[in-house]
Amino acid sequence: MSFQDLYKIESPAAPHKPKNWWVYVIILLVCFVNFMPYLWIVMTGLMDREAATASTPTWFFKPTFEAFHFLIVEKGIMYNFMNSTIVAVASTFFSVVIGMFCAYALARYDFTGRDDVSFWVLTNRMMPPVAILLPIFITFQTLKLLDTRLGLIILYTAMQLPFVVWMLTGYFRDIPKRYEESAMVDGDTWFQAFRKVTLPLMMPSITATSIFVMILSWNEFAFATFLTSIEAKTMPPSIMAYSIGASIQWNILGAAVILITAPLVLFVLIMQRQLISGLSQGVVKE
Amino acid sequence: MVEVSMASAPAERKSFWSKLGPSNKKVFPWVLMAPTLIILVGIGIYPFLYALNIASQNIILSKPYIPRFDVGLYQYQLLMHDPEFWKALRVTLLFTIEAVFIEFWLGLGLALLFQRSIRGASVMRIFILIPMILPPLVAALIWRYMFFPGAGLVTHYVGGLSEWLGFGQIPFLSDPTLALQTLIFVDVWEWTPFMFLMLSAGLASIPRQPYEAAEIDGASAWRVFWTITMPLLRPAILIAVVIRTMDAFRTFELIVVMTRGGPGNATTTLNVLLTKTGLEFFDASKAAALSLLMMMVIIVMSFVFIRVFRSKTEVAE
Repeated sequence: MSFQDLYKIESPAAPHKPKNWWVYVIILLVCFVNFMPYLWIVMTGLMDREAATASTPTWFFKPTFEAFHFLIVEKGIMYNFMNSTIVAVASTFFSVVIGMFCAYALARYDFTGRDDVSFWVLTNRMMPPVAILLPIFITFQTLKLLDTRLGLIILYTAMQLPFVVWMLTGYFRDIPKRYEESAMVDGDTWFQAFRKVTLPLMMPSITATSIFVMILSWNEFAFATFLTSIEAKTMPPSIMAYSIGASIQWNILGAAVILITAPLVLFVLIMQRQLISGLSQGVVKE
Repeated sequence: MVEVSMASAPAERKSFWSKLGPSNKKVFPWVLMAPTLIILVGIGIYPFLYALNIASQNIILSKPYIPRFDVGLYQYQLLMHDPEFWKALRVTLLFTIEAVFIEFWLGLGLALLFQRSIRGASVMRIFILIPMILPPLVAALIWRYMFFPGAGLVTHYVGGLSEWLGFGQIPFLSDPTLALQTLIFVDVWEWTPFMFLMLSAGLASIPRQPYEAAEIDGASAWRVFWTITMPLLRPAILIAVVIRTMDAFRTFELIVVMTRGGPGNATTTLNVLLTKTGLEFFDASKAAALSLLMMMVIIVMSFVFIRVFRSKTEVAE
């Protein structure tokens, strides 16, 4: 049963009862509050400099691509866009594939120190980034990883592992062990059983977790600022560099926001069904 | 997919690999966890030991001529007697607890509303999720823009309304008390969608049977919520609240972009204090000691939360 099925249970095709109107009022209000600031910055991205710096909000204006021209042609921001894409996709892939096995072990086996390992993994997400900046910087300098995509990929993989492990452990626990066991009785090795039985059942949850991790990696700012300068610079520090000089140039910021959010908004729009059903997968258990 | 060599090792090498293989229930989980643990030790333990080492000295990066000493626990002692530290701790705890509390209840409320049949639910869900998708940096900049004096949407319309009513402009970011609440508001705006998503998923995985039984018994909606929904939602609540608390505790971009810890030090959280100490005053040793104290606070908070939650879950079962 997925999230969508729940609606079907609660709502036969009958027409909506008017007593539900307050639900719509609340939800539409939340939609408005959540979406309005984004819409506003997107609009600003299409304004020229004059309209963007007006002293009162401007609602009607002739859209221009001035800010996009500045970012793409003059500053070459698409190179940073490519960096962001490579780093986010690669670190998502590695953290999910590596963390998956750890989560499986934590969910399936009852060994001494399991809870301690699980909590220790989580503590790795607690250190404030500023605190580990200097040692990471020095390590990267020694290993010649400064300003490389490889360095960021390794770091982000490590940063996302605790989240992946914690998310997936719960989902692995919900998949009954006997499916695998019966596959292994039929002569499959452990890995074959894992690949053919457990993995397909886990796929929705893995997809949902990947979407989360992708969002976090794509958006990471603090480390990207300090560990990259030219070659491997990703989108978030670029936005900061191009739109904020002596003062903030709002229309350039707006255009940059469109560029940095477009892939994620589209991605979540397409994957929304998988996101919700994957996160709510704990229903395989009867 | 990645090939796991230990698991699918050919038979002739079995003598060694089989000791690590799936048949060995004691060792095999450690084999599976090894890559994760090695990476986390590499990236996690080293910075930790480094900070521990630096914190026991008196290094100020901008004054390399100061002779270095082993000062033991002096840096921690210094912080303990520093009113700035206690003030920042109070601000951080207030920010974290208030923000996560509001986010939890709003997120849960929204998730419960979406349990009903709603036309266009998937479109509306995207609108609601937008803040979570934005980079925290961008969210902070957007709200700085919204609160910009004059042309900002909030300052123009909300402030304009308040002026029209005779209250004058509202000092959203310049009043010490209001500034922290404004930051909490933006954090709630940004992260309620996360709670909503996690709790929606939790709600969807609750089986139907208990509800049907409750309906037959004629239990009130309030009772159903507290005796069925909340206990069964515990695993989802645990993970959502722990993750959110950890992240709220070290909120960075939002505060630096919107107030830089001001006015005065009204919104200086531990993380902002840490940034100032380390990257403005270059007092590396004090910064390291501070970061370790921060880590201790958050570890204790999460540990207590997980313990309380787990024990309650066991009782409920």
